[in-house]
Amino acid sequence: MSIDAVSSFEPARLRKTILDMALAGSTVHIPCAFSIVELLAVLHRSFLRYPGNDPEAPERDYLVLSKGHGVMAQYACMYEKGWIGQQEINGYFSDGSKLKGLCDSRLSGLEVTSGSLGHGFSVGVGLAFGIHIKTRSQKVYAIVGDGELNEGAIWEGALFAAHHGLAHFMVIVDENGYQAMGATKEVLNLGSVEEKFASFGFEAMTIDGHDERAIEMAIAKLWASPRRSPKAIVAKTIKGKGVPFMEGNNKWHYTRLSADTYARAIEALGLTKL
Amino acid sequence: MRTTFSDSLVQLACRDHRVVLLTGDHGYALFDAFRSRCASQYINAGVAEQNMVGMAAGLARAGFKPFVYGLSAFVPIRVLEQIKLDVAHDNLPVVFLGDGAGFVYSTLGTSHQATEDIACTRAIAQLAVFSPADHFELSLCMQHAYDLQRPVYLRMGKADRGEVHTAQLKLNVPGQLFRVRPGSEGGLSLIATGSLVKTAVELAGRAFPDATVWSAPFLKPICVAQAAQICAQSCALVTLEEHSIHGGLGSLMAEISTTSYPRPILRVGVQDRFSELCGSYEYLLVEHGLDIDSIERQVRGFTARLERDCSRSSSMPGTAVELAS
Repeated sequence: MSIDAVSSFEPARLRKTILDMALAGSTVHIPCAFSIVELLAVLHRSFLRYPGNDPEAPERDYLVLSKGHGVMAQYACMYEKGWIGQQEINGYFSDGSKLKGLCDSRLSGLEVTSGSLGHGFSVGVGLAFGIHIKTRSQKVYAIVGDGELNEGAIWEGALFAAHHGLAHFMVIVDENGYQAMGATKEVLNLGSVEEKFASFGFEAMTIDGHDERAIEMAIAKLWASPRRSPKAIVAKTIKGKGVPFMEGNNKWHYTRLSADTYARAIEALGLTKL
Repeated sequence: MRTTFSDSLVQLACRDHRVVLLTGDHGYALFDAFRSRCASQYINAGVAEQNMVGMAAGLARAGFKPFVYGLSAFVPIRVLEQIKLDVAHDNLPVVFLGDGAGFVYSTLGTSHQATEDIACTRAIAQLAVFSPADHFELSLCMQHAYDLQRPVYLRMGKADRGEVHTAQLKLNVPGQLFRVRPGSEGGLSLIATGSLVKTAVELAGRAFPDATVWSAPFLKPICVAQAAQICAQSCALVTLEEHSIHGGLGSLMAEISTTSYPRPILRVGVQDRFSELCGSYEYLLVEHGLDIDSIERQVRGFTARLERDCSRSSSMPGTAVELAS
Protein backbone atom coordinates (compact mmCIF):
# COMPACT_ATOMS: atom_id res chain seq x y z
CA MET A 1 0.00 0.00 0.00
CA SER A 2 1.36 3.39 -0.92
CA ILE A 3 1.15 6.05 1.71
CA ASP A 4 3.17 8.44 -0.42
CA ALA A 5 0.11 10.56 -1.05
CA VAL A 6 -0.38 11.27 2.62
CA SER A 7 3.24 11.25 3.75
CA SER A 8 4.93 14.55 4.23
CA PHE A 9 8.23 12.88 5.04
CA GLU A 10 8.15 14.59 8.38
CA PRO A 11 11.72 14.51 9.75
CA ALA A 12 10.80 13.53 13.31
CA ARG A 13 8.75 10.65 11.98
CA LEU A 14 11.63 9.51 9.75
CA ARG A 15 13.99 9.64 12.71
CA LYS A 16 11.61 7.53 14.73
CA THR A 17 11.58 4.89 12.01
CA ILE A 18 15.39 4.93 12.07
CA LEU A 19 15.38 4.47 15.83
CA ASP A 20 12.83 1.65 15.56
CA MET A 21 15.02 -0.13 13.03
CA ALA A 22 18.21 0.45 14.98
CA LEU A 23 16.62 -0.91 18.13
CA ALA A 24 15.08 -3.89 16.36
CA GLY A 25 18.34 -4.72 14.59
CA SER A 26 20.55 -3.79 17.52
CA THR A 27 22.65 -1.87 15.08
CA VAL A 28 24.84 1.20 14.74
CA HIS A 29 25.21 4.06 12.19
CA ILE A 30 22.30 6.05 13.63
CA PRO A 31 23.92 9.53 13.62
CA CYS A 32 25.04 9.36 9.98
CA ALA A 33 21.46 8.48 9.04
CA PHE A 34 20.09 11.33 11.15
CA SER A 35 22.34 13.88 9.43
CA ILE A 36 20.69 13.29 6.02
CA VAL A 37 17.07 13.07 7.15
CA GLU A 38 16.03 16.56 6.03
CA LEU A 39 17.93 16.20 2.76
CA LEU A 40 16.12 12.97 1.92
CA ALA A 41 12.79 14.32 3.15
CA VAL A 42 12.97 17.31 0.79
CA LEU A 43 14.20 15.22 -2.13
CA HIS A 44 11.38 12.70 -1.75
CA ARG A 45 8.73 15.30 -1.02
CA SER A 46 9.56 17.82 -3.71
CA PHE A 47 11.97 16.54 -6.33
CA LEU A 48 12.36 12.82 -6.91
CA ARG A 49 10.00 11.59 -9.60
CA TYR A 50 8.89 7.96 -9.46
CA PRO A 51 6.10 7.54 -12.06
CA GLY A 52 3.40 5.35 -10.58
CA ASN A 53 5.32 5.36 -7.29
CA ASP A 54 7.41 2.62 -8.89
CA PRO A 55 11.01 2.54 -7.63
CA GLU A 56 11.98 0.69 -10.83
CA ALA A 57 10.18 2.99 -13.30
CA PRO A 58 12.57 3.48 -16.24
CA GLU A 59 11.83 7.21 -16.37
CA ARG A 60 12.51 7.79 -12.67
CA ASP A 61 15.03 10.17 -11.20
CA TYR A 62 17.95 8.45 -9.52
CA LEU A 63 18.82 8.83 -5.87
CA VAL A 64 22.28 7.37 -5.46
CA LEU A 65 23.16 6.91 -1.83
CA SER A 66 26.92 6.75 -2.22
CA LYS A 67 27.13 7.24 1.52
CA GLY A 68 25.80 3.75 2.18
CA HIS A 69 26.18 4.03 5.93
CA GLY A 70 23.18 6.35 6.07
CA VAL A 71 20.90 3.76 4.51
CA MET A 72 18.42 3.69 7.40
CA ALA A 73 17.34 7.22 6.45
CA GLN A 74 16.46 5.96 2.98
CA TYR A 75 14.68 2.91 4.45
CA ALA A 76 12.60 5.33 6.52
CA CYS A 77 11.64 7.19 3.33
CA MET A 78 10.94 3.91 1.51
CA TYR A 79 8.62 3.01 4.37
CA GLU A 80 6.80 6.31 3.90
CA LYS A 81 6.48 5.55 0.21
CA GLY A 82 5.07 2.12 0.93
CA TRP A 83 7.98 0.29 -0.71
CA ILE A 84 8.74 -1.56 2.49
CA GLY A 85 6.37 -2.41 5.33
CA GLN A 86 6.23 -2.50 9.09
CA GLN A 87 7.46 -6.08 8.98
CA GLU A 88 10.76 -5.00 7.41
CA ILE A 89 11.15 -2.20 9.96
CA ASN A 90 10.45 -4.43 12.93
CA GLY A 91 12.42 -7.32 11.48
CA TYR A 92 15.55 -5.33 10.62
CA PHE A 93 18.58 -7.65 10.62
CA SER A 94 16.45 -10.68 11.42
CA ASP A 95 17.61 -13.86 9.70
CA GLY A 96 16.78 -13.75 6.00
CA SER A 97 16.21 -9.99 5.97
CA LYS A 98 16.63 -8.19 2.63
CA LEU A 99 17.42 -4.88 4.29
CA LYS A 100 21.11 -4.75 5.05
CA GLY A 101 23.25 -2.42 7.08
CA LEU A 102 24.62 -0.81 3.93
CA CYS A 103 23.07 -0.18 0.50
CA ASP A 104 22.36 -3.23 -1.64
CA SER A 105 20.97 -2.28 -5.03
CA ARG A 106 19.08 -5.54 -5.38
CA LEU A 107 16.49 -3.95 -3.11
CA SER A 108 14.12 -1.76 -5.11
CA GLY A 109 14.58 1.81 -3.96
CA LEU A 110 18.35 1.56 -3.61
CA GLU A 111 20.13 2.37 -6.85
CA VAL A 112 23.67 1.25 -6.04
CA THR A 113 25.55 -1.13 -3.83
CA SER A 114 27.56 1.09 -1.55
CA GLY A 115 29.25 1.10 1.79
CA SER A 116 32.69 0.84 0.35
CA LEU A 117 33.12 4.56 -0.11
CA GLY A 118 33.61 6.49 -3.32
CA HIS A 119 31.67 4.08 -5.53
CA GLY A 120 28.18 5.54 -5.86
CA PHE A 121 29.40 8.91 -7.04
CA SER A 122 30.92 7.42 -10.20
CA VAL A 123 27.90 5.21 -10.85
CA GLY A 124 25.80 8.35 -10.56
CA VAL A 125 28.06 10.14 -13.03
CA GLY A 126 27.61 7.19 -15.40
CA LEU A 127 23.82 7.35 -15.03
CA ALA A 128 23.93 11.09 -15.69
CA PHE A 129 26.16 10.59 -18.70
CA GLY A 130 23.69 8.03 -20.08
CA ILE A 131 20.84 10.51 -19.57
CA HIS A 132 22.99 13.20 -21.24
CA ILE A 133 23.61 10.97 -24.30
CA LYS A 134 19.94 10.08 -24.57
CA THR A 135 18.94 13.71 -23.98
CA ARG A 136 16.45 12.70 -21.33
CA SER A 137 15.27 14.98 -18.54
CA GLN A 138 15.84 12.67 -15.58
CA LYS A 139 17.92 13.92 -12.70
CA VAL A 140 20.62 12.14 -10.73
CA TYR A 141 21.29 12.98 -7.09
CA ALA A 142 24.38 11.49 -5.47
CA ILE A 143 24.59 11.81 -1.71
CA VAL A 144 28.12 11.53 -0.38
CA GLY A 145 29.58 11.95 3.06
CA ASP A 146 32.35 14.44 3.74
CA GLY A 147 34.59 11.63 4.99
CA GLU A 148 33.89 9.88 1.70
CA LEU A 149 35.53 12.80 -0.11
CA ASN A 150 38.86 11.33 1.00
CA GLU A 151 38.39 8.82 -1.82
CA GLY A 152 40.22 9.71 -5.03
CA ALA A 153 37.52 8.17 -7.23
CA ILE A 154 35.18 11.01 -6.23
CA TRP A 155 37.50 13.55 -7.77
CA GLU A 156 38.02 11.46 -10.89
CA GLY A 157 34.25 11.50 -11.32
CA ALA A 158 34.05 15.22 -10.57
CA LEU A 159 36.52 15.94 -13.37
CA PHE A 160 34.48 13.84 -15.79
CA ALA A 161 31.11 15.30 -14.81
CA ALA A 162 32.38 18.85 -15.22
CA HIS A 163 34.28 18.17 -18.43
CA HIS A 164 31.15 16.73 -20.05
CA GLY A 165 28.81 19.37 -18.62
CA LEU A 166 26.52 16.85 -16.92
CA ALA A 167 23.90 19.39 -15.93
CA HIS A 168 21.51 16.68 -14.70
CA PHE A 169 23.92 15.52 -12.03
CA MET A 170 23.82 16.91 -8.51
CA VAL A 171 26.11 15.85 -5.70
CA ILE A 172 24.90 16.59 -2.19
CA VAL A 173 27.66 16.47 0.39
CA ASP A 174 26.54 15.60 3.90
CA GLU A 175 29.15 17.71 5.64
CA ASN A 176 28.63 16.53 9.20
CA GLY A 177 32.30 17.02 10.02
CA TYR A 178 32.99 13.48 11.17
CA GLN A 179 34.35 10.29 9.72
CA ALA A 180 34.98 6.89 11.26
CA MET A 181 37.95 7.79 13.45
CA GLY A 182 37.27 11.41 14.25
CA ALA A 183 36.65 14.90 12.95
CA THR A 184 37.31 15.32 9.23
CA LYS A 185 39.46 18.34 10.02
CA GLU A 186 41.71 16.19 12.17
CA VAL A 187 41.86 13.12 9.94
CA LEU A 188 42.32 14.69 6.50
CA ASN A 189 41.35 18.31 6.29
CA LEU A 190 39.12 18.94 3.27
CA GLY A 191 39.25 22.73 3.36
CA SER A 192 36.31 24.33 1.60
CA VAL A 193 34.27 21.63 -0.10
CA GLU A 194 32.22 24.20 -2.00
CA GLU A 195 35.36 25.82 -3.37
CA LYS A 196 36.77 22.45 -4.32
CA PHE A 197 33.71 21.47 -6.36
CA ALA A 198 33.48 24.98 -7.82
CA SER A 199 37.10 24.77 -8.90
CA PHE A 200 36.31 21.51 -10.70
CA GLY A 201 33.58 23.30 -12.65
CA PHE A 202 30.50 22.51 -10.56
CA GLU A 203 27.92 25.12 -9.76
CA ALA A 204 28.18 24.89 -5.99
CA MET A 205 26.56 26.33 -2.90
CA THR A 206 26.61 25.73 0.84
CA ILE A 207 23.46 25.53 2.94
CA ASP A 208 22.16 24.44 6.32
CA GLY A 209 21.43 20.77 5.70
CA HIS A 210 18.68 20.67 8.32
CA ASP A 211 16.75 23.69 7.02
CA GLU A 212 14.16 22.13 4.74
CA ARG A 213 13.22 25.43 3.11
CA ALA A 214 16.88 26.23 2.41
CA ILE A 215 17.40 22.76 0.93
CA GLU A 216 14.36 23.09 -1.29
CA MET A 217 15.33 26.54 -2.49
CA ALA A 218 18.92 25.55 -3.18
CA ILE A 219 17.99 22.50 -5.23
CA ALA A 220 15.36 24.44 -7.18
CA LYS A 221 17.78 27.30 -7.78
CA LEU A 222 20.53 25.04 -9.07
CA TRP A 223 18.21 23.14 -11.42
CA ALA A 224 16.89 26.45 -12.72
CA SER A 225 20.37 27.65 -13.54
CA PRO A 226 21.13 28.04 -17.25
CA ARG A 227 24.72 26.89 -16.72
CA ARG A 228 25.53 23.58 -18.40
CA SER A 229 27.47 22.25 -15.46
CA PRO A 230 26.97 19.65 -12.75
CA LYS A 231 25.67 20.91 -9.40
CA ALA A 232 27.02 20.57 -5.88
CA ILE A 233 25.29 21.29 -2.62
CA VAL A 234 27.38 21.29 0.51
CA ALA A 235 24.93 20.63 3.32
CA LYS A 236 26.26 21.63 6.70
CA THR A 237 24.77 19.03 9.01
CA ILE A 238 25.06 17.68 12.52
CA LYS A 239 25.89 14.04 12.96
CA GLY A 240 23.15 12.65 15.17
CA LYS A 241 20.89 15.69 14.60
CA GLY A 242 17.76 15.65 16.71
CA VAL A 243 19.03 13.72 19.71
CA PRO A 244 21.29 15.90 21.86
CA PHE A 245 23.25 13.06 23.44
CA MET A 246 24.15 11.78 19.98
CA GLU A 247 24.90 15.09 18.32
CA GLY A 248 28.56 15.56 17.54
CA ASN A 249 29.45 12.50 19.61
CA ASN A 250 31.32 10.17 17.30
CA LYS A 251 31.02 7.29 19.76
CA TRP A 252 27.43 7.00 18.63
CA HIS A 253 28.67 5.99 15.17
CA TYR A 254 29.45 2.68 16.85
CA THR A 255 26.92 2.56 19.68
CA ARG A 256 23.77 0.45 19.83
CA LEU A 257 20.55 1.54 21.45
CA SER A 258 19.34 0.15 24.72
CA ALA A 259 15.72 0.33 25.82
CA ASP A 260 16.72 3.33 27.91
CA THR A 261 18.61 5.29 25.23
CA TYR A 262 15.85 4.48 22.74
CA ALA A 263 13.25 5.96 25.10
CA ARG A 264 15.41 9.02 25.76
CA ALA A 265 15.99 9.52 22.03
CA ILE A 266 12.28 9.29 21.31
CA GLU A 267 11.61 11.76 24.06
CA ALA A 268 14.29 14.11 22.73
CA LEU A 269 12.57 14.07 19.37
CA GLY A 270 9.32 15.01 21.09
CA LEU A 271 7.73 11.88 19.73
CA THR A 272 6.29 10.15 22.72
CA LYS A 273 2.84 10.60 21.29
CA LEU A 274 3.65 9.37 17.75
CA MET B 1 44.25 -10.37 -33.56
CA ARG B 2 44.20 -6.66 -32.76
CA THR B 3 42.62 -5.88 -36.13
CA THR B 4 39.93 -8.44 -35.33
CA PHE B 5 39.46 -6.81 -31.95
CA SER B 6 38.97 -3.39 -33.51
CA ASP B 7 36.73 -4.77 -36.28
CA SER B 8 34.57 -6.71 -33.80
CA LEU B 9 34.07 -3.64 -31.65
CA VAL B 10 33.17 -1.46 -34.62
CA GLN B 11 30.79 -4.11 -35.90
CA LEU B 12 29.03 -4.50 -32.56
CA ALA B 13 28.79 -0.74 -32.07
CA CYS B 14 27.45 -0.08 -35.56
CA ARG B 15 24.82 -2.78 -35.13
CA ASP B 16 23.80 -1.75 -31.63
CA HIS B 17 23.95 1.89 -30.66
CA ARG B 18 23.71 0.97 -27.00
CA VAL B 19 27.32 -0.25 -27.23
CA VAL B 20 29.72 2.31 -25.82
CA LEU B 21 33.48 2.03 -25.54
CA LEU B 22 35.20 3.50 -22.51
CA THR B 23 38.94 3.77 -22.35
CA GLY B 24 41.20 5.03 -19.63
CA ASP B 25 43.24 7.08 -22.09
CA HIS B 26 44.72 3.95 -23.65
CA GLY B 27 44.60 2.34 -27.10
CA TYR B 28 46.13 5.14 -29.14
CA ALA B 29 45.86 3.85 -32.75
CA LEU B 30 43.75 0.85 -31.86
CA PHE B 31 40.51 2.80 -31.86
CA ASP B 32 41.01 4.91 -35.00
CA ALA B 33 38.30 3.00 -36.87
CA PHE B 34 35.96 3.07 -33.89
CA ARG B 35 36.45 6.79 -33.37
CA SER B 36 35.82 7.62 -37.01
CA ARG B 37 32.78 5.35 -37.44
CA CYS B 38 31.20 5.43 -33.99
CA ALA B 39 32.44 8.72 -32.59
CA SER B 40 29.45 9.29 -30.33
CA GLN B 41 29.92 5.88 -28.73
CA TYR B 42 33.56 6.50 -27.83
CA ILE B 43 34.33 7.82 -24.34
CA ASN B 44 37.84 8.60 -23.20
CA ALA B 45 37.31 8.64 -19.44
CA GLY B 46 40.81 9.95 -18.84
CA VAL B 47 43.48 8.44 -16.64
CA ALA B 48 40.83 7.68 -14.05
CA GLU B 49 40.08 3.97 -14.11
CA GLN B 50 38.09 3.74 -10.89
CA ASN B 51 35.62 6.34 -12.06
CA MET B 52 35.54 4.75 -15.52
CA VAL B 53 34.33 1.42 -14.12
CA GLY B 54 31.80 3.07 -11.83
CA MET B 55 30.49 5.06 -14.78
CA ALA B 56 30.27 1.92 -16.87
CA ALA B 57 27.99 0.50 -14.18
CA GLY B 58 25.87 3.65 -14.33
CA LEU B 59 25.72 3.52 -18.11
CA ALA B 60 24.70 -0.15 -17.98
CA ARG B 61 21.94 0.78 -15.54
CA ALA B 62 20.84 3.49 -17.96
CA GLY B 63 20.46 0.88 -20.73
CA PHE B 64 23.85 0.96 -22.45
CA LYS B 65 26.21 -1.92 -23.16
CA PRO B 66 29.61 -0.67 -22.05
CA PHE B 67 32.91 -2.18 -23.18
CA VAL B 68 35.65 -0.97 -20.86
CA TYR B 69 39.16 -1.04 -22.28
CA GLY B 70 42.43 -0.83 -20.43
CA LEU B 71 45.74 -2.55 -19.98
CA SER B 72 45.15 -5.67 -17.94
CA ALA B 73 47.53 -4.32 -15.30
CA PHE B 74 44.87 -1.64 -14.66
CA VAL B 75 41.65 -3.23 -15.89
CA PRO B 76 40.97 -5.43 -13.97
CA ILE B 77 43.77 -5.19 -11.39
CA ARG B 78 43.59 -1.53 -10.39
CA VAL B 79 39.78 -1.51 -10.40
CA LEU B 80 39.04 -4.89 -8.95
CA GLU B 81 36.75 -3.56 -6.24
CA GLN B 82 34.74 -1.46 -8.69
CA ILE B 83 34.32 -4.53 -10.89
CA LYS B 84 33.20 -6.59 -7.93
CA LEU B 85 30.85 -4.11 -6.33
CA ASP B 86 29.60 -1.76 -9.04
CA VAL B 87 29.27 -4.31 -11.84
CA ALA B 88 29.50 -8.00 -10.89
CA HIS B 89 27.41 -7.76 -7.74
CA ASP B 90 24.46 -6.56 -9.77
CA ASN B 91 25.23 -8.73 -12.80
CA LEU B 92 25.41 -5.74 -15.15
CA PRO B 93 26.31 -6.37 -18.80
CA VAL B 94 29.72 -4.71 -18.85
CA VAL B 95 32.61 -6.22 -20.82
CA PHE B 96 36.10 -5.53 -19.52
CA LEU B 97 38.83 -5.73 -22.14
CA GLY B 98 42.23 -6.20 -20.53
CA ASP B 99 44.94 -5.73 -23.14
CA GLY B 100 48.63 -6.54 -22.97
CA ALA B 101 48.21 -9.33 -20.41
CA GLY B 102 51.21 -11.35 -19.32
CA PHE B 103 54.56 -10.01 -20.46
CA VAL B 104 53.51 -8.04 -23.54
CA TYR B 105 55.06 -4.90 -22.01
CA SER B 106 58.29 -6.76 -21.49
CA THR B 107 60.50 -3.70 -21.34
CA LEU B 108 58.34 -1.64 -18.99
CA GLY B 109 58.50 -3.76 -15.89
CA THR B 110 55.97 -4.97 -13.37
CA SER B 111 53.66 -1.94 -13.40
CA HIS B 112 52.51 -2.85 -16.92
CA GLN B 113 52.64 -6.63 -16.63
CA ALA B 114 49.69 -8.69 -15.44
CA THR B 115 50.10 -12.29 -14.38
CA GLU B 116 47.49 -12.36 -11.62
CA ASP B 117 44.43 -11.09 -13.48
CA ILE B 118 42.81 -14.46 -14.19
CA ALA B 119 43.14 -15.53 -10.56
CA CYS B 120 41.64 -12.26 -9.32
CA THR B 121 38.73 -12.21 -11.75
CA ARG B 122 37.90 -15.90 -11.50
CA ALA B 123 37.17 -15.42 -7.81
CA ILE B 124 34.65 -12.64 -8.41
CA ALA B 125 31.12 -14.04 -8.39
CA GLN B 126 29.06 -13.69 -11.58
CA LEU B 127 32.05 -12.49 -13.62
CA ALA B 128 32.90 -14.55 -16.71
CA VAL B 129 36.55 -14.82 -17.78
CA PHE B 130 37.70 -15.32 -21.38
CA SER B 131 41.22 -15.69 -22.71
CA PRO B 132 41.42 -16.08 -26.50
CA ALA B 133 44.49 -17.46 -28.28
CA ASP B 134 44.08 -16.16 -31.82
CA HIS B 135 41.80 -14.00 -33.89
CA PHE B 136 39.25 -16.80 -34.41
CA GLU B 137 38.87 -17.25 -30.67
CA LEU B 138 38.86 -13.49 -30.09
CA SER B 139 36.04 -13.06 -32.56
CA LEU B 140 34.04 -15.79 -30.84
CA CYS B 141 34.77 -14.37 -27.39
CA MET B 142 33.75 -10.84 -28.39
CA GLN B 143 30.44 -12.00 -29.83
CA HIS B 144 29.78 -14.27 -26.86
CA ALA B 145 30.64 -11.48 -24.41
CA TYR B 146 28.16 -9.21 -26.19
CA ASP B 147 25.44 -11.89 -26.22
CA LEU B 148 25.82 -12.98 -22.61
CA GLN B 149 24.16 -10.01 -20.85
CA ARG B 150 26.43 -10.41 -17.84
CA PRO B 151 29.81 -9.09 -16.76
CA VAL B 152 32.78 -10.48 -18.66
CA TYR B 153 36.53 -10.04 -18.37
CA LEU B 154 38.19 -10.65 -21.72
CA ARG B 155 41.93 -11.04 -21.44
CA MET B 156 44.11 -10.22 -24.42
CA GLY B 157 47.73 -11.26 -24.29
CA LYS B 158 50.45 -11.37 -26.93
CA ALA B 159 48.53 -10.83 -30.14
CA ASP B 160 50.96 -11.83 -32.88
CA ARG B 161 51.79 -15.42 -32.07
CA GLY B 162 49.99 -16.76 -35.14
CA GLU B 163 46.78 -18.70 -35.59
CA VAL B 164 45.96 -21.92 -33.81
CA HIS B 165 42.69 -22.46 -35.66
CA THR B 166 42.08 -22.51 -39.39
CA ALA B 167 38.46 -21.43 -39.59
CA GLN B 168 35.74 -19.54 -37.75
CA LEU B 169 34.66 -21.27 -34.57
CA LYS B 170 31.21 -22.20 -33.42
CA LEU B 171 30.30 -22.53 -29.80
CA ASN B 172 28.54 -25.86 -29.29
CA VAL B 173 28.33 -25.68 -25.52
CA PRO B 174 29.05 -22.78 -23.18
CA GLY B 175 32.58 -22.85 -21.84
CA GLN B 176 33.76 -25.15 -24.59
CA LEU B 177 37.41 -26.20 -24.93
CA PHE B 178 38.71 -26.60 -28.47
CA ARG B 179 40.99 -29.43 -29.57
CA VAL B 180 43.71 -27.83 -31.66
CA ARG B 181 45.86 -30.91 -32.14
CA PRO B 182 44.73 -34.55 -32.03
CA GLY B 183 46.75 -37.08 -30.05
CA SER B 184 46.45 -40.57 -28.64
CA GLU B 185 43.64 -41.40 -26.29
CA GLY B 186 45.01 -42.16 -22.85
CA GLY B 187 48.12 -40.12 -23.55
CA LEU B 188 49.27 -36.76 -22.38
CA SER B 189 46.99 -33.73 -22.78
CA LEU B 190 48.34 -30.22 -23.06
CA ILE B 191 45.72 -27.65 -22.11
CA ALA B 192 46.66 -24.07 -22.76
CA THR B 193 45.10 -20.64 -22.87
CA GLY B 194 45.92 -17.39 -24.64
CA SER B 195 49.43 -16.87 -25.94
CA LEU B 196 50.70 -20.28 -24.88
CA VAL B 197 48.27 -22.30 -27.01
CA LYS B 198 50.52 -21.76 -30.01
CA THR B 199 53.52 -22.86 -27.94
CA ALA B 200 51.66 -25.98 -26.82
CA VAL B 201 50.90 -26.95 -30.41
CA GLU B 202 54.52 -26.44 -31.45
CA LEU B 203 55.79 -28.29 -28.41
CA ALA B 204 53.61 -31.32 -29.10
CA GLY B 205 54.69 -31.31 -32.73
CA ARG B 206 58.35 -31.35 -31.93
CA ALA B 207 58.61 -33.31 -28.68
CA PHE B 208 55.36 -35.04 -27.69
CA PRO B 209 53.77 -36.34 -30.88
CA ASP B 210 51.14 -38.41 -29.10
CA ALA B 211 49.92 -35.50 -26.98
CA THR B 212 46.54 -33.95 -27.54
CA VAL B 213 46.45 -30.16 -27.36
CA TRP B 214 43.43 -28.22 -26.18
CA SER B 215 42.76 -24.53 -26.11
CA ALA B 216 40.66 -23.11 -23.27
CA PRO B 217 39.41 -19.63 -24.23
CA PHE B 218 36.55 -19.78 -21.75
CA LEU B 219 37.98 -20.05 -18.27
CA LYS B 220 34.78 -19.16 -16.48
CA PRO B 221 32.33 -20.62 -16.88
CA ILE B 222 34.23 -23.54 -18.37
CA CYS B 223 32.40 -26.64 -19.58
CA VAL B 224 33.19 -28.80 -16.56
CA ALA B 225 31.82 -31.96 -18.18
CA GLN B 226 34.12 -31.58 -21.17
CA ALA B 227 37.12 -30.69 -19.01
CA ALA B 228 36.45 -33.76 -16.85
CA GLN B 229 36.17 -35.88 -19.96
CA ILE B 230 39.58 -34.65 -21.08
CA CYS B 231 40.94 -35.72 -17.70
CA ALA B 232 39.29 -39.12 -18.10
CA GLN B 233 40.90 -39.63 -21.49
CA SER B 234 44.38 -38.54 -20.43
CA CYS B 235 47.10 -40.20 -18.39
CA ALA B 236 48.35 -36.81 -17.24
CA LEU B 237 47.81 -33.14 -17.93
CA VAL B 238 50.06 -30.20 -18.60
CA THR B 239 48.50 -26.77 -18.36
CA LEU B 240 50.18 -23.78 -19.98
CA GLU B 241 49.44 -20.12 -19.35
CA GLU B 242 51.24 -16.79 -19.36
CA HIS B 243 49.89 -16.22 -15.89
CA SER B 244 50.63 -17.23 -12.34
CA ILE B 245 50.43 -20.91 -11.54
CA HIS B 246 48.23 -19.82 -8.64
CA GLY B 247 44.59 -19.38 -9.51
CA GLY B 248 44.69 -19.58 -13.29
CA LEU B 249 44.07 -22.34 -15.81
CA GLY B 250 46.34 -24.79 -13.96
CA SER B 251 44.43 -24.34 -10.75
CA LEU B 252 41.15 -24.60 -12.61
CA MET B 253 42.05 -27.93 -14.22
CA ALA B 254 43.37 -29.22 -10.91
CA GLU B 255 40.07 -28.32 -9.28
CA ILE B 256 38.11 -30.15 -11.96
CA SER B 257 40.41 -33.15 -12.13
CA THR B 258 40.54 -33.72 -8.42
CA THR B 259 36.75 -33.96 -8.20
CA SER B 260 36.26 -36.00 -11.38
CA TYR B 261 39.18 -38.02 -12.74
CA PRO B 262 42.27 -37.29 -10.62
CA ARG B 263 45.34 -37.09 -12.82
CA PRO B 264 48.90 -35.86 -12.34
CA ILE B 265 49.05 -32.25 -13.50
CA LEU B 266 52.04 -30.11 -14.38
CA ARG B 267 51.10 -26.44 -14.12
CA VAL B 268 53.33 -24.47 -16.47
CA GLY B 269 53.08 -20.77 -15.76
CA VAL B 270 54.59 -17.91 -13.85
CA GLN B 271 56.03 -18.89 -10.49
CA ASP B 272 55.47 -16.77 -7.38
CA ARG B 273 57.67 -13.94 -8.59
CA PHE B 274 57.75 -10.69 -10.53
CA SER B 275 59.99 -10.03 -13.51
CA GLU B 276 63.53 -9.36 -12.42
CA LEU B 277 64.95 -7.88 -15.61
CA CYS B 278 63.65 -6.46 -18.85
CA GLY B 279 64.16 -7.12 -22.53
CA SER B 280 62.24 -8.47 -25.48
CA TYR B 281 59.02 -10.45 -24.99
CA GLU B 282 60.96 -13.61 -25.85
CA TYR B 283 63.59 -12.69 -23.29
CA LEU B 284 60.96 -12.32 -20.56
CA LEU B 285 59.49 -15.71 -21.45
CA VAL B 286 62.93 -17.22 -20.95
CA GLU B 287 63.33 -15.44 -17.61
CA HIS B 288 60.06 -17.01 -16.47
CA GLY B 289 60.72 -20.41 -18.02
CA LEU B 290 57.90 -20.03 -20.50
CA ASP B 291 59.83 -20.28 -23.76
CA ILE B 292 59.36 -23.50 -25.66
CA ASP B 293 62.73 -24.99 -24.68
CA SER B 294 62.18 -24.36 -20.97
CA ILE B 295 58.68 -25.76 -21.14
CA GLU B 296 59.92 -28.85 -22.97
CA ARG B 297 62.43 -29.46 -20.18
CA GLN B 298 59.70 -29.08 -17.57
CA VAL B 299 57.37 -31.46 -19.35
CA ARG B 300 60.11 -34.05 -19.93
CA GLY B 301 61.01 -33.89 -16.26
CA PHE B 302 57.35 -34.32 -15.35
CA THR B 303 56.80 -37.33 -17.62
CA ALA B 304 60.07 -38.90 -16.48
CA ARG B 305 58.98 -38.60 -12.86
CA LEU B 306 55.63 -40.12 -13.68
CA GLU B 307 57.22 -43.05 -15.49
CA ARG B 308 59.56 -43.59 -12.57
CA ASP B 309 56.66 -43.53 -10.14
CA CYS B 310 54.65 -45.85 -12.41
CA SER B 311 57.41 -48.40 -12.52
CA ARG B 312 57.78 -48.26 -8.73
CA SER B 313 54.08 -48.88 -8.17
CA SER B 314 52.89 -50.50 -11.35
CA SER B 315 50.02 -52.05 -9.47
CA MET B 316 48.44 -48.66 -8.85
CA PRO B 317 45.27 -48.45 -10.90
CA GLY B 318 45.09 -45.85 -13.58
CA THR B 319 48.77 -45.00 -13.68
CA ALA B 320 50.17 -47.71 -15.93
CA VAL B 321 49.79 -45.66 -19.06
CA GLU B 322 51.77 -44.84 -22.10
CA LEU B 323 53.33 -41.44 -21.72
CA ALA B 324 54.24 -39.61 -24.85
CA SER B 325 57.86 -39.92 -25.87
